[in-house]
Amino acid sequence: MALPQKSRWQFGAGDMNKILSEVAKHKGESLWEDAWRRLRRNRSAFYSLVFLVLFGVTSFLAPILPIASPMALTLQEEPQPPSWPWDSTQLETSPGAQATGTFGAMFNNGWRHRSVLTFTFEGGTLDSVSSELSAMVEEVTGRTTAINRIAAAGNKPAQLFFAVPNEFDDTPRTNWVDTGTTGEVIFLRADNKAWLILNLPVDETLYRSWSTVVSGKDGSVNLVPNEDAGAGIRYKFRLTERFAGSVVGITLNGRELAADGKIEDLAMVGPPEPVVEPLKWDDAYEDPNAPMAPLQLASLSDAPITSPIANLFAKFGEEEIELLQGASLEEDTRVVVESNGSDRILFVRKSLTAAEQQGTFHIDLERKVNAGLEALALTGGATATLVEVESESGYWELNGIDGFMLIARSKMFGLWQTGNWMGTDSKGRDIFARIVWGSRTSLLVALIATLCSLVIGVTYGAFSGYMGGRIDNAMMRFVDILYSLPFIFVVIFLITIMNEYKVELQDNFGVDRETVFYLVIGAIYWLTMARVVRGQVLSLKNSEFIEAAKVLGASTQRILFVHLVPNVLSIVIVYLTLTIPAVMLFEAFLSFLGLGIEPPKVSWGTLAVDGTEAINPLKIFWWLVFYPAIAMGSTLLALNILGDGLRDALDPKLRGKD
Amino acid sequence: MWFAVTLFCVVTISFFMMRSVRGGPFDGERALDPAIERNIKARYHLDWPLTKQYFQYIGPLNLDEHRAEIFGGDGKSPFGGVLTLDFGPSFKYKDFTVDQIISQSLPISALLGMVAMMWALALGVSAGIASALKRGSKLDLAMRLAATGGIALPNFVIAGFLIIIFVFMIPLLPVAGWGSVRHMLLPGFALGAPYAAYIARLTRTGMLEVLSQDHIRTAHAKGLAPKTVIMRHALKGGLLPVVSYLGPAIAGVLTGSLVIEKIFKIPGLGTHFINSALNRDYTLAMGVTILFTILIYSMNTIVDLAYTMLDPRIDLEEM
Repeated sequence: MALPQKSRWQFGAGDMNKILSEVAKHKGESLWEDAWRRLRRNRSAFYSLVFLVLFGVTSFLAPILPIASPMALTLQEEPQPPSWPWDSTQLETSPGAQATGTFGAMFNNGWRHRSVLTFTFEGGTLDSVSSELSAMVEEVTGRTTAINRIAAAGNKPAQLFFAVPNEFDDTPRTNWVDTGTTGEVIFLRADNKAWLILNLPVDETLYRSWSTVVSGKDGSVNLVPNEDAGAGIRYKFRLTERFAGSVVGITLNGRELAADGKIEDLAMVGPPEPVVEPLKWDDAYEDPNAPMAPLQLASLSDAPITSPIANLFAKFGEEEIELLQGASLEEDTRVVVESNGSDRILFVRKSLTAAEQQGTFHIDLERKVNAGLEALALTGGATATLVEVESESGYWELNGIDGFMLIARSKMFGLWQTGNWMGTDSKGRDIFARIVWGSRTSLLVALIATLCSLVIGVTYGAFSGYMGGRIDNAMMRFVDILYSLPFIFVVIFLITIMNEYKVELQDNFGVDRETVFYLVIGAIYWLTMARVVRGQVLSLKNSEFIEAAKVLGASTQRILFVHLVPNVLSIVIVYLTLTIPAVMLFEAFLSFLGLGIEPPKVSWGTLAVDGTEAINPLKIFWWLVFYPAIAMGSTLLALNILGDGLRDALDPKLRGKD
Repeated sequence: MWFAVTLFCVVTISFFMMRSVRGGPFDGERALDPAIERNIKARYHLDWPLTKQYFQYIGPLNLDEHRAEIFGGDGKSPFGGVLTLDFGPSFKYKDFTVDQIISQSLPISALLGMVAMMWALALGVSAGIASALKRGSKLDLAMRLAATGGIALPNFVIAGFLIIIFVFMIPLLPVAGWGSVRHMLLPGFALGAPYAAYIARLTRTGMLEVLSQDHIRTAHAKGLAPKTVIMRHALKGGLLPVVSYLGPAIAGVLTGSLVIEKIFKIPGLGTHFINSALNRDYTLAMGVTILFTILIYSMNTIVDLAYTMLDPRIDLEEM
């Protein structure tokens, strides 16, 4: 085949440059620049964008900002109204104030846990009973309390709520490990009080400190340290209570222990000696016929124990009696040993999961307060009963970045923090801080859902649209079926089932419940995206540039992700901005129903729950409803406006249509 | 046709998920006596092989030869299964079947939903028409602002505001409960408000479009009263987008009722669903899920039918 001698127009390097310079001369605005110009001209959309950027930055930088703590539980009677923002508070140096402040709650501090005691009473006046009970509780616990008093209304009896902060040391941060060894618990004769001395194969990792309740009245307590224990182990004994009467002296290893104080810490450094002098209790009160006490095993560890598996044996002389085997120990499990003398109960405990290690000593509080209540004679013949002891914790773990930001904050602002300018909730947590920290949840959900919808939705839609034919049909039918499911119900169902497995997920995969929750939400928001992308790809796939790419031998993958996806990006972005508010709303919805974020963690849904629960006819805590509503409403509104604005900007044909 | 497929998917997936969950509804705080556990399992057929359980759950097969001794009666009635809308006994409320619970609570939820839709339609349509007629006026602006706000605020927030205002600040209405018309106003409004906002927007756009068309000009030229023009000629065309929105709106109202029923303590289907989900009462949860699927589907179908009746240009076959 003969080629023409010289083609009329031969394409050379010079020509290419000419074309390129020509193109550069006539370069119009790109789609994005054009869209940006149009978006800026749309005032409301632009302000929404600014608002949302500010919102994102604030919520990401929440730990750095000198706002009050979202987790510190303050002892107060009711939600406090907003104060002026310039009423900033310098955290005082008193332990209580410091503890309840931001740092106290975010770093290791015991005041982040507390027990709430609920009393009812008959007879007497509210004032007298509450002051007497308060004095009793403070004496018994050795801690300041806060009272919330609710007068009798109708046939509802008057109620008194006491909040007792649980000290951090109440939480033995014990890392329980199943060593396969058997610990020995020696139960001694006692009257009515619980007391345990533990004799365990102790090593530093297994058992760092032990708080034992000593309120027995037996003559001696044998403490036999493990001989295998290595050197340098620090035992920490804590006599949290004395028995009625006075302990004249306790000696341990020849060292005199102060016995008159309420709390005594003893650090014993060095290898323990094999034989220890018995602790001597000089008790003014001895009644050998006193009934055997129900043994409160809960005081062995801490509540709330969900279900550690325990085997319990009672040992009488040489005889071992099985009391409980493989039983689940609930808080109120009591084992009665009908014997006296030096009877023993052997006890094996499996390792506890992370979730089960939390808790405070508040179970023992019930016993103490009840004992105090028995001894207390209220004026006017009033009788009070302890109805409920409830443990509350406002604390959740912060991740590394947040911890770092907290440190940065302490460097910048010290202990200074703003006042509660949006008021506080019923537990004394700052509403503004809760809103800001709650927005992080919303942001995270939005982020994950966005990613899911980008990754799954765009790929799925583009592939389906590009392949066309039977594959497209099948893939889209699948989407149709999923689409017609009533998703909220299915998701709730799914989350309920996930709740069953949260411990396994946590232990085996390191996935906590919240991650699953986020993923479940993300997994359902790709459907619309897939449909939209498919439609766009269908209209694009026969255009010339795709033909050209095919002719040049580009792979399907390349055509999809290099040629098609960038061309549908504008519509993808529009749908993303419209998906985000829906996702945030959905998260709030689920959290509101108690299926999403669990307290004490905060999200806008849980804030709304707090708000609606605080509504009562006696007093209107409007700030609990108003401010979260404003935050949620303005964010969602801004997102909606921005979404509409983006749609107009990126696709002017659609302007003004709903 | 797709309805059947979807329903089948919902039933099958949720059934197997439900049965595969470790720890049944009877795992209480205390371990049960093995004998008792066996009895309970036998009663609810949890001891059968999974496929048999499944078929029994699905269809009207008489797989249960002990029915008479367990439930009394003549024992002839085959166990209903989902196909006959018999969802079996509730695991938690021992004396009730799921059907009984549903039949008690469904009317309440339906009524609530109806009140909400009535609020949404009444407010939305009238606001939409008003702002379309007074386009550009302050009224229009106010309506549009309110509509945007209504879309952005979730219904539980609106409910909180409503309670504060109409129960405590101006004590007009009861705070919670169910029974009289006064109980229905607030929850209905809170549930319907977001949809009212959206309907108002749709009506406004639709009306504006219709009002600029020739046949409206003709009607005006004929000398018809403005009221007649709007009511008879414009409204029918202007409401078309609203009608097509009714399907999603009804679905939304049904789901939204989960929250509203919780806030206003209404013993409706939503409350039962949430409780059953939290209590691991799987039969009840499944029953309600299936019921909601059916409801939402049939509502959508009805809306489609209504749409073709209003707009003869649309052919149902093409949809």
